[in-house]
Amino acid sequence: MFSTLLRKAAPVAVLGLLAFTAAPPPPYKTKLYLIGDSTMAQKVRQTFPETGWGMPLGTFFDTTVVVDNRAQNGRSTRTFLAENRWQPVVDALQPGDYVFIQFGHNDEAQNYPDRYTSPEDYRKNLIKFVTETRSRKGLPVLLTPVTRRKFDKAGKIQETHVLYSATTVAVAKEYKVPLVDLDRLSRELLQQFGAENSKYLFLQLEPGDHPNYPFGRNDNTHFSEMGARKMAQLVVNGLKAQHIALAEEHLAKPLPKNAVATPSNANAQPTTP
Amino acid sequence: MLSRFLSTTAALSLLALLAFRPAAPAKIKVYLIGDSTLSIKEVKAYPETGWGMPFAAFFDETVTVDNRAQNGRSTKSFIAENRWQPVLSELHEGDYVFIQFGHNDEVPTKRSYTPEVDFTANLKRFVSETRSHKGLPVLLTPVARRKFDDAGKIEETHATYAELVRAVARDTNTPLIDLDRSSQALLQQFGVENSKLLFNHLAPGEHPNYPDGREDNTHFNELGARRMAELVLADMRALKLGLIDHLRQGAVKKTVDPQAR
Repeated sequence: MFSTLLRKAAPVAVLGLLAFTAAPPPPYKTKLYLIGDSTMAQKVRQTFPETGWGMPLGTFFDTTVVVDNRAQNGRSTRTFLAENRWQPVVDALQPGDYVFIQFGHNDEAQNYPDRYTSPEDYRKNLIKFVTETRSRKGLPVLLTPVTRRKFDKAGKIQETHVLYSATTVAVAKEYKVPLVDLDRLSRELLQQFGAENSKYLFLQLEPGDHPNYPFGRNDNTHFSEMGARKMAQLVVNGLKAQHIALAEEHLAKPLPKNAVATPSNANAQPTTP
Repeated sequence: MLSRFLSTTAALSLLALLAFRPAAPAKIKVYLIGDSTLSIKEVKAYPETGWGMPFAAFFDETVTVDNRAQNGRSTKSFIAENRWQPVLSELHEGDYVFIQFGHNDEVPTKRSYTPEVDFTANLKRFVSETRSHKGLPVLLTPVARRKFDDAGKIEETHATYAELVRAVARDTNTPLIDLDRSSQALLQQFGVENSKLLFNHLAPGEHPNYPDGREDNTHFNELGARRMAELVLADMRALKLGLIDHLRQGAVKKTVDPQAR
């Protein structure tokens, strides 16, 4: 009985397989690899609403682009390499694929020897990511580390990555790599929000707000959903400003009903039918 | 050769299936029925977010949130499109049904318009039919729109229909989450300007899904949706719903690691 069932099922399975092989191969989708740290990484449900800026990034592009977020919590350029997280990206790279490189938070952490990377090594590692991406005809993009939320008493945003951002900028210049100065752009955004309102961009929760954080949270490094989206938006607009094809030709197309501005009297009416 | 390979493969996949089948503990389902303010959004609408989306992240693995809310639906059109009956036929004892309508019921110019008497009757129907299947209904007043008067005071946008929900809850002894009231209080706390941070407000060029920008005072962004879900959670705790025994037990440490973890 059991084996009869299997033998009957087998031809059906073959037909299913044939149906798939007969179809033309789907058009190649440009891959956008993200390598970096927790500010960018995909988060698990247990830490929601913490959100890495790589998570909403995909919503900015049309269906010809696939974001492959390889960023990992707590990694520096050194540990990312040591754990063999880079070579698989190189091996998978196809001509025209992008690699977005954003490290620094953990490289610069001198009090975390297991992560720390000297500025010299940080520089070397960035150069390795760039040259190996290019050797596969991939397109590297360097990003300075996104800022932390740190204001002085006068409400002015403070730089939190001086040396490692400068190193990133220098590598980009020397190797003529498109650069998104996310450190600067995000500081400008935080300044615009101000000391108080910028809390909404970060993982800031009162005790009891969210079951994942029974003690609340006062995190000035990791983002909320909205903060992550705003950072992704800075990245996309930073690329657009440099006329990078990805951000000019492959942006998401709006639904017809969203393609035009809402009328100003839309105040108290639902706008989604 | 080929057919032997296939038989082996089939046998293996059958084994794999069997291995997964047993030991599934009885899960509690939480059905959400309602409109666009809580529904799941497609990627094309992002960052618009329904509050049912972050709501699902509150619970441990014994609970499944099944968000059946639909953009633009009133109690009338939800029933007419046969969206209620399927929930009912799947309901098991101890499942919850969260009911939040009003936005599309209360607008006389909309096709979805539901006169007050019918709105009340439909809510009562949701409640009684849920109970007849040994499910647990929870009524919610419609979440507030962002509307302030010139003095910066939040204005009621659902006065009549929210009151009808409260009345049904009283008459039927159903747990009530007065989301209209609590969300108005939250919006008042944020104030005229800052409350925009809770809604789908976008400047032109902010997101390609809305190239000319957006000024939506009904639908939430991610932050607003989560804050509304948090209001619902706070009321669930106040009501001591059995469901709160199934919240995630946050394992996140008390202290914040300043490093990018």
